[in-house]
Amino acid sequence: MLLNRSIAFMMKPIDPRVNRLPGFGQGSIQPKAPLDQLGTYEVFVQAKEGKPFQHEGIVHASDIELAYILAKETFTRRFTCVSLYVTETRDVYVSPLTDGQTSSYELLPPATAGNGPTEAYEVYHLVKRGKQHVHVGEVMASSPQEAMHSAKEKFGAGKVVYNVWVIRKSNIRYTNEADKDLWLTLPEKKYRDAADYKAGDKLTAFLERVKHSV
Amino acid sequence: MYGGGNTFEGIKTDSLAQEDPQKLAEFEARIARGEKIEPTDWMPELYRKQLVRMIEQHAHSEIIGALPEGTWITRAPGFKRKLSLMAKVQDEVGHAQLLYSAAETLGKSREQMIDDLITGKSKYSNIFNYPAFTWADSCFISWLVDAGAIVNQLANAKGSYGPYCRALDRICAEESFHLKYGHHCVIYLASGTEKQRQMFQEALNRWWPPMMHFFGPSDKISAHTEVLMRWKVKMSTNDDQRNQFLDMYVPKIWELGFTIPDPNLKKNPETGRWDYTEPDWEEFKRVINGDGPCNKERLEVRRVAEERGQWVREALKSPSLRYVTPLA
Amino acid sequence: MNELALKELLYKIADDQLILGHRNSEWTGFGPLLEEDIAFSSMAQDKVGQSYAIYQMLNQLGEQEPDTVAFMRNANQFHNCQLVELPNGEYDFSLIRHFLYDTAEITRFDFLANSSYEPLAQLARKIKGELKYHTLHANTWIKKLGNATEESIGRLQGSLNKALPYALGIFEPSPLEQEIIASGFFAGEEVLKKQWMEKVELLLSQTQLNLPDWKTIQPVLGGRVGQHTEHLQPLLDEMSEVFRIDPSAEW
Ligand SMILES: [Fe+2]
Ligand SMILES: [Fe+2]
Ligand SMILES: [Fe+2]
Repeated sequence: MLLNRSIAFMMKPIDPRVNRLPGFGQGSIQPKAPLDQLGTYEVFVQAKEGKPFQHEGIVHASDIELAYILAKETFTRRFTCVSLYVTETRDVYVSPLTDGQTSSYELLPPATAGNGPTEAYEVYHLVKRGKQHVHVGEVMASSPQEAMHSAKEKFGAGKVVYNVWVIRKSNIRYTNEADKDLWLTLPEKKYRDAADYKAGDKLTAFLERVKHSV
Repeated sequence: MYGGGNTFEGIKTDSLAQEDPQKLAEFEARIARGEKIEPTDWMPELYRKQLVRMIEQHAHSEIIGALPEGTWITRAPGFKRKLSLMAKVQDEVGHAQLLYSAAETLGKSREQMIDDLITGKSKYSNIFNYPAFTWADSCFISWLVDAGAIVNQLANAKGSYGPYCRALDRICAEESFHLKYGHHCVIYLASGTEKQRQMFQEALNRWWPPMMHFFGPSDKISAHTEVLMRWKVKMSTNDDQRNQFLDMYVPKIWELGFTIPDPNLKKNPETGRWDYTEPDWEEFKRVINGDGPCNKERLEVRRVAEERGQWVREALKSPSLRYVTPLA
Repeated sequence: MNELALKELLYKIADDQLILGHRNSEWTGFGPLLEEDIAFSSMAQDKVGQSYAIYQMLNQLGEQEPDTVAFMRNANQFHNCQLVELPNGEYDFSLIRHFLYDTAEITRFDFLANSSYEPLAQLARKIKGELKYHTLHANTWIKKLGNATEESIGRLQGSLNKALPYALGIFEPSPLEQEIIASGFFAGEEVLKKQWMEKVELLLSQTQLNLPDWKTIQPVLGGRVGQHTEHLQPLLDEMSEVFRIDPSAEW
């Protein structure tokens, strides 16, 4: 049995980093403050020039600038990326989700004419259940509801769209054109890629050696 | 990384009687058609509860799973290994991030989940309660524990809950790096010096029993989970996953000339399945209930990390922040 | 080409990047926020990767293999500044060091993009975006925490005061400083320091942190000639623990 059950409290950690942790083994377990929870931000990534932006997931952050910084390494540390943007979750306007018989655009509540000035909105479609929302274009509107209806006219014809998102462009933290070099060395980070770990030759040589030694 | 076994206890299906039968039928029909369930869809409470529990445990297993290999992060031999291990452990933290996010879509906040981890209220994969004594142990983990996790995660990626499946697709893509990296390390140890071979053989001896535990108790003694299988929450049985793992990796371990410390381990030509010494399920229970060599250390590390980070998160809070459930 | 001067320059840069990358990697799994844990690890990887690239240049110039150079030297053979070898402390210290060091780093590589040693100039141009992210990250955090709570401002201030004398040690001239400049390898530490100071002043002026009068800060020197704090040798011992089991083995 490899487990030594005589260990009373804790064996001495074998991670030198753990042995250096201040306060290790000295505190008591206290639940954290109940509101120790940041906001969430939705992350959209463009893998290649010419490809549409796609929703990838969320990060927790205190503000949109920090969300942008944190999203970059959380979602774009492999393969290729040319651009990234983030927006706060509550700034995403969501249509009803359908089961695929009807288009989500058919389920929109009637448009309420906004009384504000018109603004630009980004529009996203979910075209298959289980996939991610993909950017389809932008519309001008005076309210998110109106943006949904404009999107229906512009992008909704003859398609079954499972779900639509619209986001005010002014609520998005984009990547500046000048900052696209942030991902310049990404394709060279091969050590993060399975393809970089070929050991076939080593294995073959080893097996040969074993065969000859018996 | 993750093991399937510790996820489910006996499921009480009584609550299903209170669900709207028509909605329940539509829900089940959707799953039977192979469609995904999304966060805004109607779902039975039991489904929600079991999913939160499973995804949360999976997330905990990733963040705790970063610790045994993290043991060697400052000591990896040579530039290549140093970079790879840093990236590998980073990925595990990233997996936790993705999985906590998926669980959040079901209505439980990340902070609440981390609290439940630290206070011992929710569990994580048992295997991370064992220590990584040498560099070779970290290689065992990268290769074989991750291999086990992939068996489990590939199965779960075909499950019914959209956000979990999407997180798993992303995770599985990264796991293929972990697996190849781990195998690469072990091939180097196997074809290296006597000392290197011995290091790995010893790691194998230490890790084999927890590896057999990894997929959870034998189907003979584990809780019945038919409803979870029907709902595509649980995708295959513990024994099936264990058998699949043995099928794929025992030959690869033997190929490298190592001895697996189980004299009864062999493929049964009649059943087509692997025979092995029944794992010690009493030990499994003991360790999962807190009495393993590293349980206390693992949770203490998380507690200290949370405590040391508290001032940062505190400083980030602002009155305008409002937590809403993330979208997908 | 003055090879000795060039090697001296390359060694000090590579040693800085390696030791700080190593230190920063200690945070992996222990960070204050999952996303930040990931970001900090990436930047640690970038630094180790950059040091690897420079040790490869040195290898081209006739020095030993990168692994041998990194894992087999003793502390007194390392030419990193002492700032990078200090223990991580709490996150406030790690962040302040990250900000002070990376501000110098991006400025240094801006100069190196025009180095007369073409491989170095190429590397500098290539990693410009990487370094840009590092400073974007550092600046965002320092502005955020340097304007937040009493505790966060107090912590950063304490760490700033502690780190500044060591940060000035980044700019300790190399023994062959004049040759390095004369050969056009690098513009030199004095010029670098001046630009660094301006950037640090500008960023800190957007926070509630106080920058003491530069004249009152006594630089901690010695790193560039192999004099180190008591922290470097244990770091190296730990880093090479497995490698030294058998340096001739392939791991
Ligand atoms: Fe993982
Ligand atoms: Fe993994
Ligand atoms: Fe940097």
